[in-house]
Amino acid sequence: MRDTDVLVIGAGPAGAVAAQEAKRAAPTLDVVLLERDGAVGTPVRCAEGVGDAGLREFANPVGAPWVARKIRRVIFLAPDDSEVKVAERDVGWILDRTRFDAFLAERASADGVEVLVGTEAAGMNRLADGRWEVRLRGALGDESVRVRMVIGADGVEAMVGRWAGLDTRVPARDMESCAQYVLRGIDIDPDAIYLQFGRAIAPGGYAWVFPRAPGIANVGLGIVALKADGRNAREYLDDWIARRYPGAEQTGYTVGGVITHTTITQTYTDGVLVAGDAAHMINPLSGGGIVNAMKAGRLAGRAAAAAVCAADTSARRLSAYHAEWMRLLGDDHLKYYRIKQALEELDDDFFNSLAHTVNAIPGDKRTLGRIFAHALVRHPQLIPVAARFFI
Amino acid sequence: GRYRSPMTPSEIAVVDLRVCDRCGLCLPLCPPEAIHLNLSDLVVDRSTCTGCRKCIAPCPVGALTMVAA
Repeated sequence: MRDTDVLVIGAGPAGAVAAQEAKRAAPTLDVVLLERDGAVGTPVRCAEGVGDAGLREFANPVGAPWVARKIRRVIFLAPDDSEVKVAERDVGWILDRTRFDAFLAERASADGVEVLVGTEAAGMNRLADGRWEVRLRGALGDESVRVRMVIGADGVEAMVGRWAGLDTRVPARDMESCAQYVLRGIDIDPDAIYLQFGRAIAPGGYAWVFPRAPGIANVGLGIVALKADGRNAREYLDDWIARRYPGAEQTGYTVGGVITHTTITQTYTDGVLVAGDAAHMINPLSGGGIVNAMKAGRLAGRAAAAAVCAADTSARRLSAYHAEWMRLLGDDHLKYYRIKQALEELDDDFFNSLAHTVNAIPGDKRTLGRIFAHALVRHPQLIPVAARFFI
Repeated sequence: GRYRSPMTPSEIAVVDLRVCDRCGLCLPLCPPEAIHLNLSDLVVDRSTCTGCRKCIAPCPVGALTMVAA
C-alpha cells in the first residue's frame, strides 16, 4: 500500500486549485490529484459562465485558449419575453471548461502534483494511526493508499464527505435539475448572456443563453422538480427551445444538478476537508460555483498542507478552514438563500411588471442601484425581499 | 446511521441505465444514501432504499422510476 500526504479527490476547479495550493504551501509533501474520468474536464456539466473579477484571482483570461467568449451585457427576459438590459461593461467570460479544467490540472502538475486520471475513489476508512485508507479503482485495477489529509472535491455527488461521516444530503427543494444543449444558428447578441424567469418556463429556476461564438451558445435551464408539472428538465428545455429558437441545430447535450442550498454545516472532520460543490459552496441565487470552488480549494489546500506539516490533522484544527470559508463567502450565501426564498413567493405578473418598470429608466442611467430604488418604489412587494438580506 | 427510516417498502427506485446520464444529481437527494455511482453505472442499493421517491422527479432525464420491491 502506498502512502501520500495529501489526496485530492476530484480534478475540477476546486480540486485542481486545492492540490496546487497544497503543493505550493509545502513543496516537500506528496500531493496526488485524482480524476475519475479518463481526462480532466470531461464530461462538461456546466453553463461555463464566470465573473471577471473572481476569475482574475486565479488566471488571466485575456487571450487564453480556455476562454470561449467575453461577455459585456446581461439581458433579463421577463416571463412575457420583455427584454431588460442591465449592464454595459466587462461582465465576465464563457469558459471552455474542457480546456480550463485541463489548464488548472496542468498547472498543478507543473508544480509537482501527481495527477491520476481514470481512477476513482471507491471508499475509505480511518486507520488506528489517524490516517485514512482510501480504496482506489481504475484501469490498472484496485489499490489502496494511506493518506494524512483527504480533500473531497468530488462535486455534487459528495461521496467523500459521506464516507467521512459528514452530512452532504440536499433537500429536493434546493436541487436544481438542469439540462443544456449547445445550439448553432441562433439569432442572439454574441456579447450578452440571456436569463429568463417564469413558472411555465423554468419553475424554481431560470433558463439561460450563454454565447460561445456568434450564433452558437450554451442554452439550458434549471428547474426545481417539486414545482414542476411532471415534465423533467430536458422536456422543459425542449419546449422552451422550440418556442424561442425553432430550427436551431442541437449539438452538445448535458444534464446535471446544481445545489442552491447553503454550505453544509460541517466541511471538515479528522483528516478530511470538503470543498466546492461537494460542500454546497454555490451561490444559491445564481447557481454559480466555479469561482467559489476555486476560492474554497485555495483555502482547503493551504489548510491541509499546514495541518500535515504541523502533524495535527484533527477536526479541531481543521475547523479553522470552515470558519474562514464562512467569513469569505459562506455567510453571504446564507443571505442570498433567504433572498431566494423570498423571491420564490413572487409570481410571473410581478416580474413582468418589474421588467416594464426597469425599461422606463433610460438605458444609460440603468445602474443596479437605480433599478433597485425604482423597483422598491413601484413594487412595494419587493420590500420584504430586500429585508431578507439583513434579517 | 444518520437516517431514521420511516419503516420492507412496497416499492423501490430503479434506474434505467440506457437513459441515465451518470450526472450524480440523485445521490445527495437520497435520505438513506442508497444511491451510488461508480465508473460505469448508477446503482440503487435495494436493501437500503426506503421507497421515499425523493430521487424520482428531480432526475433531468427521467431515468429513475419506482417498481414493486
